[in-house]
Amino acid sequence: MIVLLSFSLFLLVAFSTLTSATSDYHERLVLQPLPQSSLLASFNFRSNTSRDSFDERNYHHFPRALGQILQHTHTEELHLRFTTGRWDAESWGSRPWDGIKEGNTGVELWAWIDAANDEEAFARWLALTQSLSGLFCASMNFIDSTRTTRPVASFSLSGDHSASNNLHLLHGTLPGEVVCTENLTPFLKLLPCKGKAGVASLLDGHKLFDASWQSMSIDVRPICSQPDKCVVQIEQTVDIVLDIERSKRPRDNPIPRPVPNDQLTCDTTKQYHSDDTCYPLEKTADGGWSLNEIFGRTVSGVCPLGVSQSPEETICLRVPNERGVAISDGAVEIRQPDGFSRCYTLQPSSSFDLVMPEQEATTSIPLDEPVLRAERTIVGHGVERGGMRIIFDNPSNTGAADFIYFETLPWFLRPYIHTLQATITGRDGIRRQVPASQIIKETFYRPAIDRERGTQLELACSVPAASTVTLTYDFEKAILRYTEYPPDANRGFNVAPAVIKLGADEHPIYIRTTSLLLPLPTPDFSMPYNVIILTSTVIALAFGSIFNLLVRRFVSVEEAAVLNSQTLKGRLAGKVVLLRDRIKGKTSKVE
Amino acid sequence: MPIDRRKTAVFAGALTLRLLLLVLFPSLPDLLTGRVEVSTPVNSFKRLQEGLFLYTRNVSPYDGGVFHQAPLLLPIFALLPNAKDLPLPTAVFYSLIDLINANALITISESGQAIAGRFFSALRKDIKWDGVSVAAWFLFNPFTIATCLGRSTGVFTTTGILYALSNAVTGNSFNAMLSLGFASYLSIYPALLFIPLVLLCRDRRAQGAKQPAGIAVFALQHFALFSFSIAGLLGMSYLIVGDFSQFISATYGFQLLVPDLTPNVGLWWYFFIEMFDSFREFFLGVFWLHLAAYVGGLTVRIRRQPLFVITALLGIFAIFKPYPSISDASLYFSLLPLYRHLFPLMRYTFFAVSAILYATLLGPAFYHLWIYAGSGNANFFYAITLVWSLGLSILLSDTIFAVLRDEWEQDNPEMRGKEARQV
Repeated sequence: MIVLLSFSLFLLVAFSTLTSATSDYHERLVLQPLPQSSLLASFNFRSNTSRDSFDERNYHHFPRALGQILQHTHTEELHLRFTTGRWDAESWGSRPWDGIKEGNTGVELWAWIDAANDEEAFARWLALTQSLSGLFCASMNFIDSTRTTRPVASFSLSGDHSASNNLHLLHGTLPGEVVCTENLTPFLKLLPCKGKAGVASLLDGHKLFDASWQSMSIDVRPICSQPDKCVVQIEQTVDIVLDIERSKRPRDNPIPRPVPNDQLTCDTTKQYHSDDTCYPLEKTADGGWSLNEIFGRTVSGVCPLGVSQSPEETICLRVPNERGVAISDGAVEIRQPDGFSRCYTLQPSSSFDLVMPEQEATTSIPLDEPVLRAERTIVGHGVERGGMRIIFDNPSNTGAADFIYFETLPWFLRPYIHTLQATITGRDGIRRQVPASQIIKETFYRPAIDRERGTQLELACSVPAASTVTLTYDFEKAILRYTEYPPDANRGFNVAPAVIKLGADEHPIYIRTTSLLLPLPTPDFSMPYNVIILTSTVIALAFGSIFNLLVRRFVSVEEAAVLNSQTLKGRLAGKVVLLRDRIKGKTSKVE
Repeated sequence: MPIDRRKTAVFAGALTLRLLLLVLFPSLPDLLTGRVEVSTPVNSFKRLQEGLFLYTRNVSPYDGGVFHQAPLLLPIFALLPNAKDLPLPTAVFYSLIDLINANALITISESGQAIAGRFFSALRKDIKWDGVSVAAWFLFNPFTIATCLGRSTGVFTTTGILYALSNAVTGNSFNAMLSLGFASYLSIYPALLFIPLVLLCRDRRAQGAKQPAGIAVFALQHFALFSFSIAGLLGMSYLIVGDFSQFISATYGFQLLVPDLTPNVGLWWYFFIEMFDSFREFFLGVFWLHLAAYVGGLTVRIRRQPLFVITALLGIFAIFKPYPSISDASLYFSLLPLYRHLFPLMRYTFFAVSAILYATLLGPAFYHLWIYAGSGNANFFYAITLVWSLGLSILLSDTIFAVLRDEWEQDNPEMRGKEARQV
């Protein structure tokens, strides 16, 4: 029996062997075909710089621009994520890297900052977000106090830090940020070979952001093998799931066209099958592809920094051993003992391509079942209030799933935590209402303050084996000042995904839900002057009529006439009457 | 006694009606609690429950943007069972509060201060409703019932104000000041009633055998009492909450600065949504000054009837305060029947009543069009709030006209029924 290594474990094991290598720059690409003709490509780039030289501003392979920002803001550990799309756990199984290299939709940033107190930490955090915003061409400068949280249990330090540091964890997320080429370019510039050589030469914005799901990550952390022998490690990853068919379309002719009649494979058992009707059969063969077709280019050699000592296994492929693969000349194939993966050592200066011919599928790579499925949706109708529904599904038949659920909500979404309810559904399909305390072991809740900070909710939950738990709570949507709405106000506002952390601090598994779209009530944006005028009119009417009554006195009608004649207006009217009479008198004389 | 039997019947009827509505339509309280006409950010029962939830878990309810009500409500409601599981005790509690309010109204009505006081005596004394009718008018007013079932905490302010009045008209100025202190502690704006209430207390005292102290001394004494009661309540709140500045800014700061622009029946919310940022503070000041300006004008001009000044001010608050709800309107409407003798002098009753009814019926419909159907926009509901405010202000100015006309006729008995002009 073959021992099946999970893909995530495979990635981790593959890299742990590299840690001992003497060179301090490593890069690797792992390719794995996924069901539904998708291809997962995991790029990883890692370099170490000794702590002492880093402190002396001698950065070696560490990107200088980033290093200076980190030193200026006293950031000890940094994690930055750019993610778009949705990981389809139903078909693709568990996430690459156990989700630790993944981020919320949009931009997610968390960092441990060395500071004496919370205020100083926040000031440095703002400096960090502003600088990173400039470095990565992203709107991270919009991570203000309303989008910043201080998670309690959801994130833990992954590096080795000296105890003398007073570290503050700050976390910010921009769910509405559109990740695109302008973020990839600065990302590639941080690499020692700037994407000109090595596996990074495959990364092309057109293909990368055309993917079904993609996640870019940057992790900076100090690692100490001995107390006085520390390195600062920067690890960059790019994970993408490409639709093979879509990626193979030529760039000058990207419009999909129907398959020509003679290339259709039809189900001839259908009774309606004839020359002009066809029930298409799903392809049984694995589609053929090559790096050149998928990425539009080939790997241009090896980044020379990584191969100073010995050639590395730079590109790995996860396909069954019987699958035929053609590779460029000069590259060396090494098969792994598990029967499902093989790696290639590249020639330093010649380009490398990998061709998978179309072949009938016999065995497939076993995919890991995710340890927990999570889904979060907004329920209810109307723009005044709604409800949040979070569904956790524990597929395991034996063990309960214990995890930390962390969500940040914008301040204009006001949750009512007293309405938090839990229902549990077993495999028998019967829903039962249970007290929330049966599912939620611990709660950390920091309510939002209008225009100051968002809601932070962290729940330590436990979902029993083979059951589905649904948590619901009500919320109210605030109406904003009209200048606080974006130009596309009726599109709605993005709500950041929830982060779920399973497992121990040493080997956590992260799952993120999708981001949500929250429609808010909108005022009429064309009306400021009208509203000011109309409201003022009503106020003036009330004020005028009341004070008019208060300052005047009552008199009888006759008295009023007398008083009227004494005023200027009254006297003028009298004069007019006199004049009219005189004119009338004159005309009568003439006649 | 026949009167007592009528009173019992009215009270029992009101209580039964409320409980019957709760039993027949169990979802009605939650529906009404969610209505913007009933619940505002400063009196919503749902927000109170959220505050209570945090309070019972030792989290400061004021360290958040949801709860903006007075701290003393928390321990009171912590004693009641959870309204979600057991709605009946809360409903009975609110119904009893309504009955207490009605009882205070009976006292006010039967004191006759609305008809004859120290400086005046109305001409049409014979046209009047007795106390039980006034109470029935209050208890069976749909606005009052909606407020009661919607469990708005505004009813406690109503209780404070009505008890301040009932104690003042019976000559118990000490309790009147304590009650007004309670109302002001709950929702700041009743403090504006202090001057007319002191005048009412003094007039009532002067009608008795013993002459009260000079006006300045009397006012100072009562101001001290009033401040003492507020300080006492704030002290108790401090014991409950701990962080003094946090709860002051979350309650009184919130009511003064109006940061939450949730729609309500008033005029502030849409105005401050659409206001340009640089003028926001200026117009906040203007709106508050406008609200306070009526106190002086009315008190000076209608010095002879301080009870009417208070009634008129309550009407003004129902229109112009930052977070008005129909409970404020129902308080004003409950005091109006005391002035039944003025109704013949009013000129625009039909127009005012039609405008109010029009707004009452179309308000929820237009709100639905905006929020749920999406076929209308915010202007629909805004227009209705304008009509509502206009209707109320017409009614208000009409009653003020009637009072002034009545006073004039007292001074000039020969002019009774004749046409008059104002110059």
